[in-house]
Amino acid sequence: MQAHAPSMQFVPPAPGTYQLQRIQRAPDAVLKDARDRQRRLGTLTRGKVTLLTFFYTYCVDEWGCPFAYRTMLGLRERLTERGHAGRVRFVSISFDPTNDTPEVLRRYSGNLKAETGLAWEFLTARNMVELLPLLEDFGQDVNIEKDAKGQPTRTINHMLKLFLIDRNGTVREIYALDYLHPAMMVNDIETLLMEENAAPVGVLRR
Amino acid sequence: MSAMKWLPILLTGCTLAFSATADETCNSPYMSKLIKGQEAYVHVWTLGVEGLGDGFDKLVTINVDPKSKSFGKVVNSVSVGARGEAHHMGFTDDRRYLWAGGLSNNQIYVFDVGANPAKPKLVKTISDLGAKSGFVGPHTFYAMPGRMLIGTLSNTKDSGGRTGMVVYNNKGEFVAKYDLPTGDIGGVMGDGYGYDVAINPSKNALLTSSFTGIDNYRRPLGDVVADAAAMKRFGNTMVLWDLKAMKPQQIFAVPGSPLEIRWSLVPGDNWAITATALTSKLWLIKQDSVGKWQAKDVGTIGDPAKIPLPVDISIRADAKGLWVNTFSDGMTRYFDLTNPEQPKETYAKQTGKQVNMISQSWDGKRVYITSSLLERWDKGGADNEQFLRAFAWDGKELKPIFEVDFTKEKLGRAHHMKFS
Repeated sequence: MQAHAPSMQFVPPAPGTYQLQRIQRAPDAVLKDARDRQRRLGTLTRGKVTLLTFFYTYCVDEWGCPFAYRTMLGLRERLTERGHAGRVRFVSISFDPTNDTPEVLRRYSGNLKAETGLAWEFLTARNMVELLPLLEDFGQDVNIEKDAKGQPTRTINHMLKLFLIDRNGTVREIYALDYLHPAMMVNDIETLLMEENAAPVGVLRR
Repeated sequence: MSAMKWLPILLTGCTLAFSATADETCNSPYMSKLIKGQEAYVHVWTLGVEGLGDGFDKLVTINVDPKSKSFGKVVNSVSVGARGEAHHMGFTDDRRYLWAGGLSNNQIYVFDVGANPAKPKLVKTISDLGAKSGFVGPHTFYAMPGRMLIGTLSNTKDSGGRTGMVVYNNKGEFVAKYDLPTGDIGGVMGDGYGYDVAINPSKNALLTSSFTGIDNYRRPLGDVVADAAAMKRFGNTMVLWDLKAMKPQQIFAVPGSPLEIRWSLVPGDNWAITATALTSKLWLIKQDSVGKWQAKDVGTIGDPAKIPLPVDISIRADAKGLWVNTFSDGMTRYFDLTNPEQPKETYAKQTGKQVNMISQSWDGKRVYITSSLLERWDKGGADNEQFLRAFAWDGKELKPIFEVDFTKEKLGRAHHMKFS
C-alpha cells in the first residue's frame, strides 16, 4: 500500500488570515551539493520561502522519506501552477554523508530542477561530525538502528519533519506526518509570500 | 482511512509520528515512539515535602519491567533543588526530553530521558515564563512539531484565573503567547481561565479547559470551599480553537471546572471527553450532523452532592472505555464508552484514601495511580497517603501488582506519570 496524505477533515484557513509562529532561526552549515560544490546552507534558506527536510536515498519506509518526497513533488506541481516557482525552493539534506555522495545525490535527483523551474537543492555533509550539529540545531532526531548483535544496520530512524522557512531564514512551521496536509502547506507558503509583499527584502522579523 | 494512521510504528525505514493520544493515550498526537508493549519505567513528577528527604521537587523513576530485578523499585531520583509545586509534564515531539512544570515557582525543568531512561538528567531550567508571557502556573505540556504548547493556570497581575497558552521551541526559547478568550463568542462569554490543552490534527482543532488561579490553588482546599466568593473563581468554559490560526472559534458553557481533555483516537471519530471537577460530570465535545461542535453533559461521576472531585481521566486507545479518578473518596471508576453519548459506569474500586492521576498502558492491561492533587489540597494525617500503585486490569478487576510508598521512601507527593 502506498502511503497517502493524513486525513484532513477541515477547511484550511485562507492564506494571509493567520500568522505563522516564528519558531527558531534556521541554522547554518557548509554542505556539498549534487555537483560537488561547497554550499553554505544559510544562502539556501534565505531570499525565498524554503521547504527543507532531511532524508537518505536508500530509505524504503513508505511513511518515511519516500512519502515526504512524493508530498514535495505534489507541492511543487501545485506551487508551479499557482505561479510561485520562482519564489519558493526545496532543500533536501542527506542523513548519510558516507553513502549519499554528490554523485549519488545527482542520480537520485535526476533532472527535477529542469522540470518546473522551482529550485530543489539536494545536499550532503562532508562528514557526520559536521552534520550532527546541524541536526541538533534543527531539532531533528536521528539514530542508526542496530541489529541483535549491536551492529549498525542500514536503517536510519528519525522523525519525519519538514521545515518551512521564510525568506529571512526563520523557521515558521514544522510539519510532522500528521501535519502533512498539502492544501494547508500551500496556504502556509502563500501566507509567507503575502508577508513578503508587505515587507521590504532583508527585513528580519522575529 | 486505515487504522494504521493512528498508530506510531517503527517501520523498516524511518520512525514516524502517527496520530495517537493513549497515557500512553494522553500524549500529544505529534509525539513519536509511543510505547505499545511493556513500558520499562514510570517517571513520577513529585512535589517536595519540607522535612522529608531533601524536601525538593524531584523526578522519580521506577522500574516497571516485570523481567527486571529492580521491578517495582525506585531506580533514580533527580532533585531540582527547589520546592515549587511539581505538577504536570510532557514529552517533546521526539520523546527525547521531558518538560515538567512547577505551579508555584513557575519554573520549567527539562529532563533528558532519551539518552538513558533509567537515569534522567536535568539539562535545562526555563525561568522566563512569567516575564515573557504574563502567565504563570505552567500546567499542561503538549508537544507540537519542534515546540511545546503550554497551558497555564494564572497570571502575573492578579494571581487570578485569567491566563493563556504559551509556545516555546524545543531549545527552550519563547515563541508566542495566546490569551484565553474573555469576550462573547457565539453567545457564550469566555472566562479566560485555562487548564488542559488537547489537539486533533485531522480537525485542525485545539480544545482548552478551565480551572482556577493561584489565589485558589495555592490556598488550603477547605478554605476555598468555605469561601463563596472564591468558589465563583473557577472556570466554567471550554474553548475550541482553530489550531493553525491559534484563534478561538467557539466557547462552550461547561460548568464546574472542566479539567483533563481526551480526544477519541479512533480514525474518523469527532469527539473528545472531559470531566468537571466541581459538578462531577462527564461532558462530550462532539460535532453534530452539520459539523458544528457541541458540548453535552453525558453522565454523572459518583454523587455530585458529595463533591467526589474527579481529577483525572484516561481513555482507552480504542476509545471504548474511560478511567476516572475521584480525589475525595479515593475511587477509581471505569466507564463503558461504547456509546460516548451515554457513558456507563461498570466498575468502581477504592484505590487509596486520596487518588489523583491515572495512566494506563496502551493495551489497557496495566493501570498506574498516584495520590497527590495539590500541595495544599491533599488530605492530612493518616489520609495523606502518598504513593504510586500499579494494577493489572483484566476487564473485570483491578488487581494490585506493586506499590511504592513515597513517604516511606522520603520522596514527597506523587503526582504526574509518564512512561519510557
